[in-house]
Amino acid sequence: MDFLLYFQNHFKGIFPELFLSLAIFGMLVFGVIYTTSEKYNKLILIRTINWLAIQTLIITIVLIWNNPINDIIIFNDLLIIDDFSNVIKIIVSISSICCILLSFEYLKDEKLYAFEYALILLLAILGIFLIISSYSLISMYLAIELQSLSLYVIAAYKRNTKFSTEAGLKYFILGALASGFLLIGCSLMYGFTGLTSFTDFAKLFGGSLLYNDFYASNGIIIGIVFITIALLFKLAAAPFHMWAPDVYEGAPTSVTAFFAIVPKIAILGLLIRFLSTTLYDLIDYWQEIIFLSAIISIVVAAFAALEQKKLKRFLAYSAIGHTGYILIGVATGTPDGIQASLLYMIIYIITSIGVFSIVLSLRNKVTKTKIKYLSELHNLGNTNPVLAISLTIVLFSMAGIPPLAGFIGKLYIFLAAIESSMYLLAIIGVMTSVIGAVYYIRLIKIMYFEKLRVFNFYQEVDREKSILIALSIFFLVFFFLDPSALLIFAHKHALNLCL
Amino acid sequence: MTTTYFLFLLIILPICGAFVLTLIPNYKKDLLRNIALFFSLVTFSYSVFLWIIFDKTTAQFQFIELYNWLPLFNINIYLGVDGISLFFIILTTFLIPICILASWDVIVKNVKEYLIAFLLLETMMILVFTVLDILLFYVFFESVLLPMFILIGVWGSRQRKIHATFQFFLYTLFGSVFMLLAILIIYFNAGTTDLQTVVCTEFSPYTQLILWLAFFSSFAVKIPMVPVHIWLPEAHVEAPTAGSVILAGILLKLGGYGFLRLSMPIFPYGTAYFTPIIFTIAIIGIAYTSLTTLRQVDFKKIIAYTSVAHMGFVVIGMFACTVQGLEGSVILMLSHGIVSSALFLCVGILYDRHHTRILKYYCGLAQGMPIYATGFLFFSLANLGLPGTSSFIGEFLVLTGTFYHNTFVAVLATTAIIFAAAYSLWVYNRVSFGKNFFINIKALFDVNRREVYVMAPFVFLTLLMGIYPEIFIDTIHISVQTLILNAQL
Repeated sequence: MDFLLYFQNHFKGIFPELFLSLAIFGMLVFGVIYTTSEKYNKLILIRTINWLAIQTLIITIVLIWNNPINDIIIFNDLLIIDDFSNVIKIIVSISSICCILLSFEYLKDEKLYAFEYALILLLAILGIFLIISSYSLISMYLAIELQSLSLYVIAAYKRNTKFSTEAGLKYFILGALASGFLLIGCSLMYGFTGLTSFTDFAKLFGGSLLYNDFYASNGIIIGIVFITIALLFKLAAAPFHMWAPDVYEGAPTSVTAFFAIVPKIAILGLLIRFLSTTLYDLIDYWQEIIFLSAIISIVVAAFAALEQKKLKRFLAYSAIGHTGYILIGVATGTPDGIQASLLYMIIYIITSIGVFSIVLSLRNKVTKTKIKYLSELHNLGNTNPVLAISLTIVLFSMAGIPPLAGFIGKLYIFLAAIESSMYLLAIIGVMTSVIGAVYYIRLIKIMYFEKLRVFNFYQEVDREKSILIALSIFFLVFFFLDPSALLIFAHKHALNLCL
Repeated sequence: MTTTYFLFLLIILPICGAFVLTLIPNYKKDLLRNIALFFSLVTFSYSVFLWIIFDKTTAQFQFIELYNWLPLFNINIYLGVDGISLFFIILTTFLIPICILASWDVIVKNVKEYLIAFLLLETMMILVFTVLDILLFYVFFESVLLPMFILIGVWGSRQRKIHATFQFFLYTLFGSVFMLLAILIIYFNAGTTDLQTVVCTEFSPYTQLILWLAFFSSFAVKIPMVPVHIWLPEAHVEAPTAGSVILAGILLKLGGYGFLRLSMPIFPYGTAYFTPIIFTIAIIGIAYTSLTTLRQVDFKKIIAYTSVAHMGFVVIGMFACTVQGLEGSVILMLSHGIVSSALFLCVGILYDRHHTRILKYYCGLAQGMPIYATGFLFFSLANLGLPGTSSFIGEFLVLTGTFYHNTFVAVLATTAIIFAAAYSLWVYNRVSFGKNFFINIKALFDVNRREVYVMAPFVFLTLLMGIYPEIFIDTIHISVQTLILNAQL
């Protein structure tokens, strides 16, 4: 009889993921058959599969939006389907659609014709969906593995260059180390409590802050520390960020765009759910870790990015910095902090989509090479003024200059920090924000102010990227006029998570 | 509570101008300049119209408009004008057409972007002076950095402009971020960032001190006060003429306006506590920068340093906390906006012809450019505070106000006038009089019609403010008096 109950609620609740996995397999079979068939002369299906992947994601969004099952913990305490997870899944799907849209021209120009590109991305997205929905130590670990393995493969997508293979291998080895940490943390927690589900943890530690007879022995705390460190590693937060610049630089640029945007949302969602809701009563133990990680991330990113000469490493360090700011919001543990993190995350996603669209559009017309060094951006203000203005707006938004959208994100993060009396964090945050502004405006200086007499001419921006750049700039410039929509959105979902 | 749309229209006009400019292609330079000039003149006439319908008998904010921004968090766009803001707005809208006229023949590359940057800058500056919400004040206070950064960096005169614009941007940004934290703490304590509500909230003395310091760090960089004045000579020298005019004319006043509008009403205890330090820094600033002026060889740097000295004088008047002192500081700010801008324009006229700013190069200008020399003399005399010009009124009121408060400071501040006479007259003497040693005689022609149109309004305004200041003091008197009464200074 339990069996029938599974079909009533549980499979209905997980329907978007089921659809996604079936779609992946269907497209995989389709791809394999047609790209190896002699009759059709070994079709190149990369573009078809990419568009099919986008359509799959659109249908998945519709399915998540209209999910009839809400607020339920299914499959024997493995997964949770609630409002927060639905919202994060929709944000992930929309960001992935943008990432796949970014990749069309890149794959064509780099002659990466293997059709599995979008499929591996979809597998990673499936893993991400399961991460966001996970509500138990086991499902958390398995989902993180699914996502990570897919990302390891796609980081090494350009098989014939050493650079990309090295990136994939580095990511694999270090990611496996992090998964090992995750596993030992999970086993410690299980060993000392006998529970794996987050609901049971919340009940066990519930009220510890009030009644002072908490059940947290040292083993549990070490387990929590290991898990937190593993998640911070996956997030590329300092001091566990070492892999990020190398992997971001070596991977193909459209894959870097995906790395910078989508897995961060997932792991942050998981971190917020695990720490702020489940382990809220043990806040004394994990708050300091996240606090320190946030400060170190911001400071490291600010100073390291000053030294960078290559574009993708620069973007990697700036992503580490932004992750640090989001972690400030997580460290507070209050609904205001989570709301600030959500808001900053959304603004960060749009900024990243903008900046990666612009970086991918810069392909030299004569030599057909991509842009690699920061100094190759010189004279962009003269050769391609529209792209230069777009990049200027995106960079100013990343620096947090009013009245662009990035400023409002930072405003909320600092507001949440001050409300929790974390004054040191706020002061260090604002000071390094100024240091951050230095390297962003240095890029603008390279674009506009230098007097070099060498001009690079770039190919025309293709249609999908130009739409993405336009939407991103539109949002960044005009968000200031009416931020209440997004703020109320973030507020509502943060409250939904906490209550 | 929006009953009228006056301020909305004032803010929209330059944005409409910028939008219309984006539609015109870049090669039609004359059309671009004419349309930009048209829109800025319309904005100026409209702001004078607002002065005419302004009610002088009340200290309440007028033309108020309230727009929802973040209603959930009690932060709304609350626009309003009182006597003090009104004149700063008029100064802004007056200076922008002059700047566009001044850069008519000079800017030949990327004219469209230049004019759009100016019109957007105008909008941001008008917004700074009209918002009555401390968070939005901060936002627009910072957002004037963006167009100025691009203006100095792209259209500056020599390679040092990059260094100058970076210094300008980073100094101001670093000073202001502490103000952001202070605003967030105020928001957390008061529940809203509406200025009129926050003015009524009481903060404990210790909190007031810390928050006042945070606000001070931002305004001190902007005014500027010694020792964080270093960005000013660099930015003024490297900027194009119109950029220097805007920097000296308005951007420096943002700091003074911030003190008047934010620091004093919200933190009266902090203001009273730190007044001695402010006086000290201001007097050191006046003495130091005036003496430095005497050693400069770059023409624009001289005028830049005199700006610092004058703003030091303004700060002394403001912190005297008497009616005369405050009124004097407002009048002095307006007068400095007019006189300094006029001096920068004079230097710009010379630079357009000879492309150098070194003082040794110019000698005996009065023989070749008599009309220009007359105008220049007038503005130099206005700079030193000759009775009959606007700066005399300002300095006189400031000294009167400070004399009530602290006699010794007033005596020391008087040295500013002596120094001003020293550098102003010495510069003018070296440049205009003497034997004419010109090598490049072909460039020695007098001011043309456009430059007369640029200089004449300044002469008129200086004389107007100097001979009959009642027009101006009339409007600001009630606001200043209410400010002092409310803050119980």
